[in-house]
Amino acid sequence: MALLHAWRTARVTPLGELHTPPRMTAVLLRLTVQVVLVASLWHGLYSHTGTTAGLSEDQAVTYAVLAVLASRLRELDQYAGRDTVLQHMHFGTIVYWYLRPLPPQRYHALRAVGEQLYGFAWALGGYAVCLAAGVVEPPRSAAVAGVFALSLVLGQLVLYFVMLVLDQLCFWTVRNTAAALILIFAQNLLSGVYAPLWFFPDWFITMSGFLPFQATLSVPLSLYIGRIPLSDAPAQLAIQAVWVVLLFLFTRFLWRQAARRVISQGG
Amino acid sequence: MNGVRIAWRITVLNFRAQLEYRTEFLLMVAIGAIWQVSVIVFATVLLSRFTGMGGWDSSEVLLIPATRMLAHGLFVLVLGRMHYVGRQIQEGKIDTYLVRPMSVYRQVQLSYFPTNAIGDLTVAVGLMVGALSRSELDWTAGRISYLVAAVIGGMLLEAALFTVVACAALRFPAADYWGRWLEELLGTFGSYPLNVLPKAVGGLLTYGLPLAFVAYFPAAVLTGHGHDTGVPYWLAAISPLLGVLAYLGARLLWRWSLSHYTGVNG
Repeated sequence: MALLHAWRTARVTPLGELHTPPRMTAVLLRLTVQVVLVASLWHGLYSHTGTTAGLSEDQAVTYAVLAVLASRLRELDQYAGRDTVLQHMHFGTIVYWYLRPLPPQRYHALRAVGEQLYGFAWALGGYAVCLAAGVVEPPRSAAVAGVFALSLVLGQLVLYFVMLVLDQLCFWTVRNTAAALILIFAQNLLSGVYAPLWFFPDWFITMSGFLPFQATLSVPLSLYIGRIPLSDAPAQLAIQAVWVVLLFLFTRFLWRQAARRVISQGG
Repeated sequence: MNGVRIAWRITVLNFRAQLEYRTEFLLMVAIGAIWQVSVIVFATVLLSRFTGMGGWDSSEVLLIPATRMLAHGLFVLVLGRMHYVGRQIQEGKIDTYLVRPMSVYRQVQLSYFPTNAIGDLTVAVGLMVGALSRSELDWTAGRISYLVAAVIGGMLLEAALFTVVACAALRFPAADYWGRWLEELLGTFGSYPLNVLPKAVGGLLTYGLPLAFVAYFPAAVLTGHGHDTGVPYWLAAISPLLGVLAYLGARLLWRWSLSHYTGVNG
């Protein structure tokens, strides 16, 4: 029965997407055009330059294209379905989360699992096409592929908890739009979405090392392209795991505190 | 005149409404600035690692993001609410606008005050001052006039693109998703010489999505690279005029789309 509930909750976003053809079309076109543009840009930039910041042309293009594909895993867009914490707080419907037989934290996590699996299907399809077309390099060995997969899962967990903290902020603030945008910006910049972190100054790379964001994307992709050697992988995976545990404990604490603040209309 | 007075009074009220949430107000100013800074960060990283991008020196390249960001900041301030038409349709607000004695387009623009535009414009003006101070060009009255026209043309072209997306949203509300992508594309690819890209891709960003006309072509004309853009010089030179024409065309499309709009009640 629990599995049935989980399945029904997790499939909400994929079903919503399947019933919105413009969004599906937009995702397909966006991914295609973005991959072509990003690959062209990095090939163009490297046309007069050799290896820079420890990245060769193929590594940089592979990193950039994989970052585009990973964007499908990073957009937890429940806004269109009116099911964000912010919207529920605004309309007072958050109280229903606390009246259901399913705990709110589990509901939130199951929705995210469904979204990320749906996004993963897009990313995997895009990856297969890019690999067949020679746009991205394959992993250098089976060990690299395995470490990358593990790192990607840990990165997704870190990403989920970071975005969850943002949602939980809504329980204390009436609005969180600006905070959300700032966090998303910081997340994109410090995780290497805009450009691989290796291109940034040393102080910037050092600073990112103390924050959870680089664990979400930069680490898995750097492992994939070989910028982080396999010998350093255990340490990087351990850091990711530590962030997962810390953020899990922190968000669990916040869920408990948030529950005390929920009141239905009229008190 | 009465319309202008009403618009001004609504804007003042909207501004006061934004001030009601002080922390959110300050954060929104910050996010405008931060969004623009992200473009500068990306541009700076690329410029420092890949010098001589597309045959342009760094002071010349800087003029492209400065023009684009200033145009974008003005767009956000004056016409930027087109971003949210999809959401307003989903919430049924457009249906309300239709029965009021004011143009729907104007009501959309007056729906709230864009606080983030303050941050957007602050950073954009700063970058433009920096770009002009580093520029070795002779800034004659003609060049300055062309730069002003380019900024206004860029603003109108961006407004035209988002108005077209808004027209699509009148039919398919979920089409506002395209708006977010458009903004991302403008931010990522609108700030560099497009001749670093293959010709087909450059052509796509010129004739498919006319992003090159926002800042790249005007900057190329100003810096003497106008003949190396891959399009006839005259076409690059009339970019500001194309912005005006595109906006007028988009407004006609909006009027047509609105006349065919059907709310949830039929």
